[in-house]
Amino acid sequence: MMTMNNQMPTDDDWLEQALRANAREHTASYLPDDGFTARVLGQLPRPAALPAWRRPALWALWAIVAIAILAALPVWFEDVFSNIAALFLGQRLRLTDVAMLLTLLGGVTWSALFFAARTE
Amino acid sequence: MSSPAVSDAQLIARVLVQDDRHAFGELVRRHQSTVRACLRKLTTGNAALADDLAQETFLLAYKNLKSFRQEAKFSTWLYRIAYNAFLADARKMKESPLADDADLDALSAEHHETEESRPVARAASLKIDLERAMATLSDAERAAIIQCYHNDLSHEEAALVLGCPVGTVKTHVLRAKQKLKARLGAWAPPT
Repeated sequence: MMTMNNQMPTDDDWLEQALRANAREHTASYLPDDGFTARVLGQLPRPAALPAWRRPALWALWAIVAIAILAALPVWFEDVFSNIAALFLGQRLRLTDVAMLLTLLGGVTWSALFFAARTE
Repeated sequence: MSSPAVSDAQLIARVLVQDDRHAFGELVRRHQSTVRACLRKLTTGNAALADDLAQETFLLAYKNLKSFRQEAKFSTWLYRIAYNAFLADARKMKESPLADDADLDALSAEHHETEESRPVARAASLKIDLERAMATLSDAERAAIIQCYHNDLSHEEAALVLGCPVGTVKTHVLRAKQKLKARLGAWAPPT
């Protein structure tokens, strides 16, 4: 190291040059992956999976909600709803028709939710 | 080098919206070399420790990807996580591990033997002496040099990575260069 004096360029800032050269070498050298990415991916937290019991539980829950809504429907609301339905469909809807409609609506809603929240 | 067909921002969006692990894998593949190389410099050549820290860096990046605001480049954000991981490890170990001096001595001796006849060997000798001198810097000084020179960041970007004011980065760089000059004085041209 001590014999280098007369062999270096006589630039004012030789250290700057040395640092730049070292940096260029650092930038140019590419470290091969060698399984590094696979190791990282292997350590990622597992994706949150929906528990197996969730689907039937949600179906049961929706059924309960639908029944509760139907049971709570006031008579005047049923009348109004039936008249409106009659206006469009040409016939009055019975409570069972409303229940079926709500159940159908619930089924479609939950299916859409399951589809949106599905995991690979 | 041509720019990739899918940008980092698009890959990040895929990870955030769909938890797309293939997209995250692509991000790791793109940046693993620079992050690992940067950590190797910070750990003064300890490749095993650097790779462990790099792995930790990418895991932390995955967990905290939502907090990446795209104000800086993704690589700059990764450097910051990597530097924090390095600091945490250095605190844990009390002192950062240095490169094996015996190996450096052997390499240095080998190059000094032929330096009279081969300019390439002279450059290699300077490189080894520079690496050794870098190892004597404080963590903050070494980190400032690595960010500003090796990662080619501006002082502002380096300040973001190192989590300190721009003025502090400049001071670290200045002090580091003074120490390197003193350490590598024999390489200075004659006045």
